[in-house]
Amino acid sequence: MKRNGAQIVVEQLCVHGVDTVFGYPGGSVLPLYDELYKNAHRVHHIITAHEQGATHAADGYARVSGKTGVVIATSGPGATNLVTGIANAYLDSVPLVAITGNVSVPLLGKDSFQEVDIVGMTQPIVKHNFVVRDVKALRDTLREAFHIANSGRRGPVLVDIPRSVQEDICEYEDAPPLEGETQPTAPFDTRQAVQAIRGCHRPYIYAGGGVLASGAEAELTALAERLSAPVGFSMMGLTAMPHHHSLNLGMCGMHGRYAASVAQSECDVMLALGVRFSDRATGNVEAFGQGRVIIHVDIDLAEIDKNIPSHIAICGDVKAVLADLLRALPPMKGDAWLARVEELKQAELTPPVADFSPRNIMEAVSGFCREDAVVATDVGQHQMWTMQSYPFVKPRTLLTSGGLGAMGYGMGAAIGGCLADGKRRAVLITSDGSFGMNLTELATAVAQELPLLIVILNNGVLGMVRQWQTMFYGQRYSQTTLDRRTDFPALARAFGAAGYRAESLPQLADILGRLPAGGPAVIDCRIDRDERVLPMIPPGGSVQNIVRG
Amino acid sequence: MERFTVELIVANHYGVLNRITGLYARRGYNIESLYVNVTENPELSRMLIVSEGDGYIRTQMVRQLSKLYDVKRVILMATVKETIEK
Repeated sequence: MKRNGAQIVVEQLCVHGVDTVFGYPGGSVLPLYDELYKNAHRVHHIITAHEQGATHAADGYARVSGKTGVVIATSGPGATNLVTGIANAYLDSVPLVAITGNVSVPLLGKDSFQEVDIVGMTQPIVKHNFVVRDVKALRDTLREAFHIANSGRRGPVLVDIPRSVQEDICEYEDAPPLEGETQPTAPFDTRQAVQAIRGCHRPYIYAGGGVLASGAEAELTALAERLSAPVGFSMMGLTAMPHHHSLNLGMCGMHGRYAASVAQSECDVMLALGVRFSDRATGNVEAFGQGRVIIHVDIDLAEIDKNIPSHIAICGDVKAVLADLLRALPPMKGDAWLARVEELKQAELTPPVADFSPRNIMEAVSGFCREDAVVATDVGQHQMWTMQSYPFVKPRTLLTSGGLGAMGYGMGAAIGGCLADGKRRAVLITSDGSFGMNLTELATAVAQELPLLIVILNNGVLGMVRQWQTMFYGQRYSQTTLDRRTDFPALARAFGAAGYRAESLPQLADILGRLPAGGPAVIDCRIDRDERVLPMIPPGGSVQNIVRG
Repeated sequence: MERFTVELIVANHYGVLNRITGLYARRGYNIESLYVNVTENPELSRMLIVSEGDGYIRTQMVRQLSKLYDVKRVILMATVKETIEK
């Protein structure tokens, strides 16, 4: 049958099981949006307030659902507005297909109205990108795009489709999604790793986003219990194990938990699963590797020995490698090691104080929400407080900008995450600085009637940068004291959301008790601007330099 | 630092050269010499890239290059220690 390019895009979205897309229309995607109009019953399109919000929403949707997120934007400014969101998905290995329109083929390369070389611009931040100049190549290009995005190490793919190609007609037949790996890895061998683990006394598992990507949460817990090995997490891996499991030490790294970081520095074998040893996670590279055998498991060969030289490397899918290890390793008892770990856990406990601190706010919010609610964050102090104290119990319930550290990620991500979670109540924990970046997406959340609880930890400053200025720049607070007079509750109401202000725990409890069941609500929590994120391992330092306050 | 040569078989397609040189540029590795020619199969090109780097850089470059979608094969050429002239 004959189909035009726009129809082929919609057919391929359906073939790939895409029922929700995020985007923003414009001149170069008019034919595509006309087809989306006719197919609204098959593909649900969410219009955001800004294309950046749409990419973050597609990213949040992908993180919660495990499916590939799809974002659509027009050429020129529509396409450039996607860039932060694509970079974010690239650094956190999130499967995303970005579809951009471009000017018609005869106008390409002539600096036409709203023309940019988005393929050139996004080259360093995608797994791959395509320009489709011939409608006959469109179907298979889209199949490739979905295949690349959601296989191997996941990531974003961009497909640029000139307007004339959306209008051109060709013969079309449905074809199924491509299967298998785009980058087949060689068979792995776990024998050396098994030997090292069997001979060790203080095993430690360092788990990252790869555990979630491969769906290996059950295997992770089983192996930790088998080996009596405590588990520390990178930010991307944090939800792979319920917080209350006795072997879960929480996040390690610059702002990691005390026990997680110290235990990591005292282990004799570190089994690193699906991590890339980011500088924020390792600190001083020499100290990190000293005195222990590092076994690095990752699906991406280029990550092996990139940041931390490993003693034993296994390139493969975490789930398959863990299944192999579980077959080969007997139960191990480590009473002395577990006692030491318990001692460290006791040492990080601090007596409860009933103040309006981030920790207590987090406790009130998590107590109010379902234990498996989706939680999004922005970037900064509030993000680290969330990592340190929010009690996550279910995989894929945390949406946070890890590698890119993009302030403004949270609003879009929360929208996408809430939709992927069947429009159940989701939480965004943000700050006055981060929320200011993309708060226009409140309009989207209101229009979609999403039950989002937006908690602003408002300290009137850019808290994380200020913390560094306090610690390393002689308290010279260059451009971090905002003291804006934005009335967030009134602003929320102007958008059509509910808005509240809380200055104490009883006030917060009272507000949570009378929140409307549907639609977004903003709670502006006024906190102390000198509250710091601790513990902290200063940049380039090791656990020896940990600041506990 | 040693001079090393990488031989690549890549898709014969516009923009491919950009993706490959971009990978070198992002990591700050200078390309000393570059050769590109279409192979007997017109869908593929052969590239020879000469640059300088230690063992870490060589391994990283080979692994990063092989992740590129348009790169079909990467061969790290043995460092030539001697040449014989007739």
